[in-house]
Amino acid sequence: MYIDILFWIRQKKWLLIALLYGLVMHTFITPPADLTMAAYDTLIIISMALILIITEPLPLPAIAMLMIFMQVVLGVDTANNVASSFMNDAVFFIMGSLMLAVAIVSQGLDKRLALGIIKITGHKTWRIVVGFTAISAILSSFIGEHTVTAMMMPVGLTLVRYAHKDPRKVAGLTAALLFSIAYGATIGSIGTPSGGGRNVIMMNYWSEFGVGTVSYLEWIKYVYPMVLFQIPFTVIILLWTFKPEYDILDSAVRKLVVDVAHAGKIKGKEWLALFLFGLVFLGWVFLSEDVGLGVIALIGVFLYLAFGLVDWSELNQRTNWGVILLFGAAISIGIQMNQSGAAQWVAKTIIVNLSQIIESPAVLQGSVSVLLTGVMSNVLSSSATVAVVGPIVLDLGGDPILIGFTTAIASAFGYFTAVAAPACTIIYSSGLVRSKDFLRAGWKMAVLSIVSLLALSLLWWPLL
Amino acid sequence: MTKKREKIDTKPLKFLTAVSSEKYSKPTLTFGSLIASVFDASMGVAYVGKKASEFHGSSVNLTRQNLTDWNIIHPGLEVLQWALKELKKLNPENEALAKIQFNPDHVYEEDGRIRVFMPDVEGKKIELVLREGELVGELRKEMQLEKYDLAIIGGSQNKRNLAHSLIQYLPGSIFVLQKFNPRKKYKLLLLVDDSTATAKSVEWGALIAEKLGWPVRTLTVSKTSRFGAGYQGAADMAKAYFDSRGIDVEQFFLTGDPVRTFVEFAGDNHIVIMGASTLNPLKQFLFGSKPIQTLKQTDVPILIVR
Repeated sequence: MYIDILFWIRQKKWLLIALLYGLVMHTFITPPADLTMAAYDTLIIISMALILIITEPLPLPAIAMLMIFMQVVLGVDTANNVASSFMNDAVFFIMGSLMLAVAIVSQGLDKRLALGIIKITGHKTWRIVVGFTAISAILSSFIGEHTVTAMMMPVGLTLVRYAHKDPRKVAGLTAALLFSIAYGATIGSIGTPSGGGRNVIMMNYWSEFGVGTVSYLEWIKYVYPMVLFQIPFTVIILLWTFKPEYDILDSAVRKLVVDVAHAGKIKGKEWLALFLFGLVFLGWVFLSEDVGLGVIALIGVFLYLAFGLVDWSELNQRTNWGVILLFGAAISIGIQMNQSGAAQWVAKTIIVNLSQIIESPAVLQGSVSVLLTGVMSNVLSSSATVAVVGPIVLDLGGDPILIGFTTAIASAFGYFTAVAAPACTIIYSSGLVRSKDFLRAGWKMAVLSIVSLLALSLLWWPLL
Repeated sequence: MTKKREKIDTKPLKFLTAVSSEKYSKPTLTFGSLIASVFDASMGVAYVGKKASEFHGSSVNLTRQNLTDWNIIHPGLEVLQWALKELKKLNPENEALAKIQFNPDHVYEEDGRIRVFMPDVEGKKIELVLREGELVGELRKEMQLEKYDLAIIGGSQNKRNLAHSLIQYLPGSIFVLQKFNPRKKYKLLLLVDDSTATAKSVEWGALIAEKLGWPVRTLTVSKTSRFGAGYQGAADMAKAYFDSRGIDVEQFFLTGDPVRTFVEFAGDNHIVIMGASTLNPLKQFLFGSKPIQTLKQTDVPILIVR
């Protein structure tokens, strides 16, 4: 009995710490004079949620529920208002994109993709790394990095295994190929709104806070040059860092081609799957301003289901409903941060404290949004970071659209750990790359991305 | 003692060996197999891997599902596949085991873990289990679920940091193979005191010594120069038990701090066997215990019998 209680305490210590923190802050600490009680309680809920999300003593849906009921229990807002802020187009998009990932991956298109890449790149290792990085970046811009990585991983791992029986003996090659997929997908995910949930969350904040709207094509115009600019440098960084053991993967490529050739010619269902995704893409480009990105994603899922390309049971089983609930709750609290004045208060506090160190407001705004987002996305998840940081950075001053772009882009700088981006988690789960590999290549990628973002904001955006 | 020996002889024991990789777990698996054969115990092998962050868990699962279509199996299943191959090598006389083939398609999710379907071998179960999460928590769940009597764990710096949790929360005996070298000649060192678990640890030690022919020493440490009736009685009982089984035993009585004395005496050529603490769990949690301190400080394999 004692042991069970002690063990529960051991497993749930961060839950107890979060609850104790919330209790002490709410009951015993007086809020700053310029902060309303609702804003103060909102910040308490966010702090508690961050502790729980990072340490994971509870399943994500439980954290989402805590964020919801705490808003009502602490009197931040009424139950109906909390409920209405819980579901919006960004949550629809996250739900739709997770389901689309399942629908697309289950079509077996990865074998076609493998053949296509090999045809273009040939059998030289450096060319394959270029191909993996470029294809992962370009595809993830449109269909999300988790979908692309799920499709590219088998191709990369098969090549590695055909190159050597024990992938650990060719650690450089293994890391170069797997990181070309992960980092390729990560740098690409900023390219369009549909590249990641975080982009849509930022668009949703722009619209909710009355800052303005940005269309799908406008986003591409602002951000895509950075994707294209980073691709060749990412390849150089990966080849420089990991130094593949083989220059040529002749036999491995031949075996891979034989493997995928078994799939035969592209079938009707696969054409249909591609066609439907093409429709979804066109919908995002041309209709999203009127209909919403999330609704179009749901239309796509509906069509995949209607044409029998995927079973509901499969979608139901493989969709992470916990994440959807969590983002609903995170966006709801994000809106509350704005409405209660908590976001403005945090932004003002940051500006007042940091303006003594950094005098230029533009540099201050940029630095805060990039550093805060970049650091948080390495310990949290990129989308959760934007959900939490978004309302604050939009209140930092300056052009909120450009600050929003900067934040959404910086949230993809989670190169140092396996937790930040789904692509990084996926390659880490192969057991073939180590945490220190993320650090070895990650700092170089971070420098590249910060320089690219600076160049984009100083040289490209003023021209638009 | 006689009653307890009958208990060991009649109750089928179940041992669980935790493995992490082909590179690091070979000595652990080798010793696990040896100890299971000594006790004629059923054997489970568990791989406990890191769990993906819940945020990206479904993306990882989606990728893994896709990878199986390319005949690339979960890295944990690869370790279990290696473990089965290794068990066959270690037990060449076991024809039934030799016939078992590892089939990555014969896996199923059950109770929050992945099990590989394995037929019974000579009436005994061999379990191959994949779990993802924190080591102590997952081993505890597995031991509770399958009612394992002993967990065999490889030693590492990390295990030393986990010593407290391993001893306090695993619901059976544990064998931590710190710096274990299968080629080295070890002596068994039984720590004998008035703990209620001493009797069982003497029985287990005797069985190991008998089957493996390892020399045995018993050590009783008192903080003062006076050895109380409990300590003296336990030492006498241990001696009598070894004598009754025809096992030579060297007895040592030393004075000093118990844990420091155990550690110094054990050096680097003993396998230590000691009973689990009978302290109240809350006291153990707050102040530790002799087994916890010994495991933290010693560099030799240690079996803590519960």
